[in-house]
Amino acid sequence: MKAILHVIEYDFRNFFRYRWFVIGLIAMNLADLFISAIVFTTMTSIVDYFQFFAPGLVVLGLFASAFMIGREINMEIRREIHHYMLSLPMTRTELAVGRVLAGGLRGMLYMTPLLITTFIVLHRFPTLPQLLLILLTLLLLAIGISGVSISIAVSTTSFEKFVTARGVVYYMLFFCSSVFYPISIIQVLATKGLGPLVTFAQVNPLTNGSDLIRSFLLDSPDYVFSPLMLLNVAVFCGIFAFFATFAYSKILQRH
Amino acid sequence: MGLKKLWLVIERDLRMFFQYKFLLIMRGIWFVAQVALFGLIVNKMVQAAAAEAGISYFQFYVAGVTIITLYSTAMFIGYDIFEEAEHGVFEYLLTLPVSRRELVLGRSIGGGLRSFIYVGPLLAVVLFILGVSNPFYLLVALAAMFLFAFGVSGMSITLAVAMKSGDKYDILIGVLDALIVRLSTTMYPTLYLQRAMPAYATVAEFNPLTYAADLFRWGTGVEGALQFSPLVGVFGLFIFFFAFTLVGVVFYERRLEGGNWE
Repeated sequence: MKAILHVIEYDFRNFFRYRWFVIGLIAMNLADLFISAIVFTTMTSIVDYFQFFAPGLVVLGLFASAFMIGREINMEIRREIHHYMLSLPMTRTELAVGRVLAGGLRGMLYMTPLLITTFIVLHRFPTLPQLLLILLTLLLLAIGISGVSISIAVSTTSFEKFVTARGVVYYMLFFCSSVFYPISIIQVLATKGLGPLVTFAQVNPLTNGSDLIRSFLLDSPDYVFSPLMLLNVAVFCGIFAFFATFAYSKILQRH
Repeated sequence: MGLKKLWLVIERDLRMFFQYKFLLIMRGIWFVAQVALFGLIVNKMVQAAAAEAGISYFQFYVAGVTIITLYSTAMFIGYDIFEEAEHGVFEYLLTLPVSRRELVLGRSIGGGLRSFIYVGPLLAVVLFILGVSNPFYLLVALAAMFLFAFGVSGMSITLAVAMKSGDKYDILIGVLDALIVRLSTTMYPTLYLQRAMPAYATVAEFNPLTYAADLFRWGTGVEGALQFSPLVGVFGLFIFFFAFTLVGVVFYERRLEGGNWE
């Protein structure tokens, strides 16, 4: 446990070294909320888009910040710093678990101000049990995203490949989720012969994460909390945390 | 300035680009996801607004996303520069019997050209979806898009050599992407930018992405009337191209040597 904490501390120190990256992320997220969301609010009457999108922005920010760990690991591999990491007095599994958890916890740290901003702009605050449930779900989601990011980082050999793969994962997961638009609108894909994508959107952990927040913050019958939302995110977290731990500890030795 | 040497630099960048098969396939998937997922779904969400603006949002977005793809592909030359710096290829390039000016101009043109070649097949699909109402207008729009791609490539090189840090460059590109794309008419018509916040529409008026996207829509007939004269649009993109190619050459020449790449 102590070794894992050391790894987490190392990654947190790195996180604060990349303060410009964090500022950049904040700028991107705020641009999404205060430019795109406001413009789309004037374009659609189906939902109050600004209110709808604000909880999605929390997931968006969580994803981007939890994904940063992969970028650092990819850089370490390219600059061969991973040899040093592998020489540390800890097991491969401790190192890998520490990094997966650190990625998730950093995502939570970054996401917190966005979550508070969402509470403020929506003028709604959840009850304590609801808040704890939101935080638990987002933590599981962040660890899962960190796992996806690490899996990609150790499987790609160049920064370009990592950046491109990050873009594709980002667009596939976000466009096929209810982060940007309600799941009822996504049903339109079924009429275009893209039915499997609708199913994917329904089981997508990003859909479940953002809809869970909406169920506590929006007064809409379209968003009702279901324990399946939490289960779905937990399964995603379990699969990718395991996969990343395995991939990091095995593939790293081959480089 | 030797044209032959310039061509050698351009040819090298083109060859390099087509080595990135993984990247090209991924970018293709990214484009399809933008069109087939985001385009179709948002089209459903904003149907009433699109009818009010007298457009098909899907067609409007497809044209916009073509310009976004052209922009992001042209921006990629900056990542190439960092890759070269990281692997020490930069020093090799400096030893070649090619002047700094030829090197940077060749890279700027190569960066723009390769993004245009990459977007070519996607453009064919887009033109199939959108149709062409006036071939002359389309040619004007394509010429404007050439200027746009070269300008973006020059901008990318300028930023890359100004930063000399892959991390800072990646962050800046992300922020620029967030602001330039969102404060343009690539994703929504000017009318709605104006309604949301007049200041957004004012910024969008001077955005090269707005010029490129609106000219492309005008060229394909998606938008019957432009908010500005086509000449103004082409001139705006020419200034963008000229400024960044010129600035790119000066910056590249001054900062090329001395290392300090991060």
